[in-house]
Amino acid sequence: MLDIQKIFLQQINENKGIIHKVAKMYMDNPLDQEDLFQEIVMQLWKAYPSFKGTSKFSTWMYRVALNTAIVFFKKDHRKVDKVSLNEQVEIADFSDSHEKEEKLAYLYKAVQELNQIEKALIFLFLENQSHKEIAQNLGITEINARVKLNRTKEKLQQIIKKNGYEF
Amino acid sequence: MNFDQLKDEWNNNSAQHQEVSEDMLKIKEARTPIDKIRKQMKQEFLIQVFSLALAAFVPQIFDFSISLKSTYLIFYGVVVAFCTYYFYKFYTFYKHSYDLSIDSRKNLLWFYYEMKLNIELYKALTYIIGFIMLSFCATALFLTKNDLLQRILEKLSLVYLALNAFIAILIIGVITELWARFYYGKYIKEIKVIIDSLDEE
Repeated sequence: MLDIQKIFLQQINENKGIIHKVAKMYMDNPLDQEDLFQEIVMQLWKAYPSFKGTSKFSTWMYRVALNTAIVFFKKDHRKVDKVSLNEQVEIADFSDSHEKEEKLAYLYKAVQELNQIEKALIFLFLENQSHKEIAQNLGITEINARVKLNRTKEKLQQIIKKNGYEF
Repeated sequence: MNFDQLKDEWNNNSAQHQEVSEDMLKIKEARTPIDKIRKQMKQEFLIQVFSLALAAFVPQIFDFSISLKSTYLIFYGVVVAFCTYYFYKFYTFYKHSYDLSIDSRKNLLWFYYEMKLNIELYKALTYIIGFIMLSFCATALFLTKNDLLQRILEKLSLVYLALNAFIAILIIGVITELWARFYYGKYIKEIKVIIDSLDEE
């Protein structure tokens, strides 16, 4: 294995949680999540020579991962198995009974009703990014980022309420 | 709903994730809309190159007269020249790499205009080939069926002929537009929707 490949894999594996979270935010079907995960890894590898190290690796990774997810289209021929919210959360209950896990499972399900940009806003917010950083990542003004984020939070709350869950 | 609490739980989530392996760096082709369009265009151009090569044998297959063969070769030469120019343009598009580490807005706009530009190039080439083929058919009619054509022309008004030419061009245009929209339009449309949602105040 080449040295550059080794360094890249080490850095990626230290931050792989970011890719998993983005894949789960953008795709509800496990097969599509796997596809998106691989696509992000590949795009990161393709873009790696352009990473100059002037910013943190994770900062660069957020951008590439989100930009890939925003323009990623599902495989046209794939039949998506519709799983209801309760069924999905029951699965989560079996694997991990913690309330936190259940909450996150509801969150992942609810964000599927948001559009590509709203998903990015919520993701960056949950990743502790400031309004300024969100604005820089998306290429919009800070005010616009603040307004959009507030609207998206309200929308998300309504979706979760509509689905009969509250947290 | 307490978003701060949710944020803490999100960040403290210790789910075990699959490792990224060396094999993952080698697999499959990229699936961004640009890559999909490039792949489709590549397939179409391979078919066009093959068709162009086959078209070189048309005079032999249909046993053209010397005058018709010479005319055909002139038209064929013009088509080959245009195709070479456009194939070169598409090749540079195909090789043009993109940078996903810029901000999302710039990234989406790049994808949108790059796709638009190339679809316009694609349409232009189709129009050109369509017009040249029509012109050749008209010239061939003059050369081979001159008497018959003269008789028909005497009976038809110029307005009627112009209208026919216009309709023929219109049909080429509509087919090209529909073809481009069917194969490539959906990607542009989806990207445009995302850009609009980013621009909304």
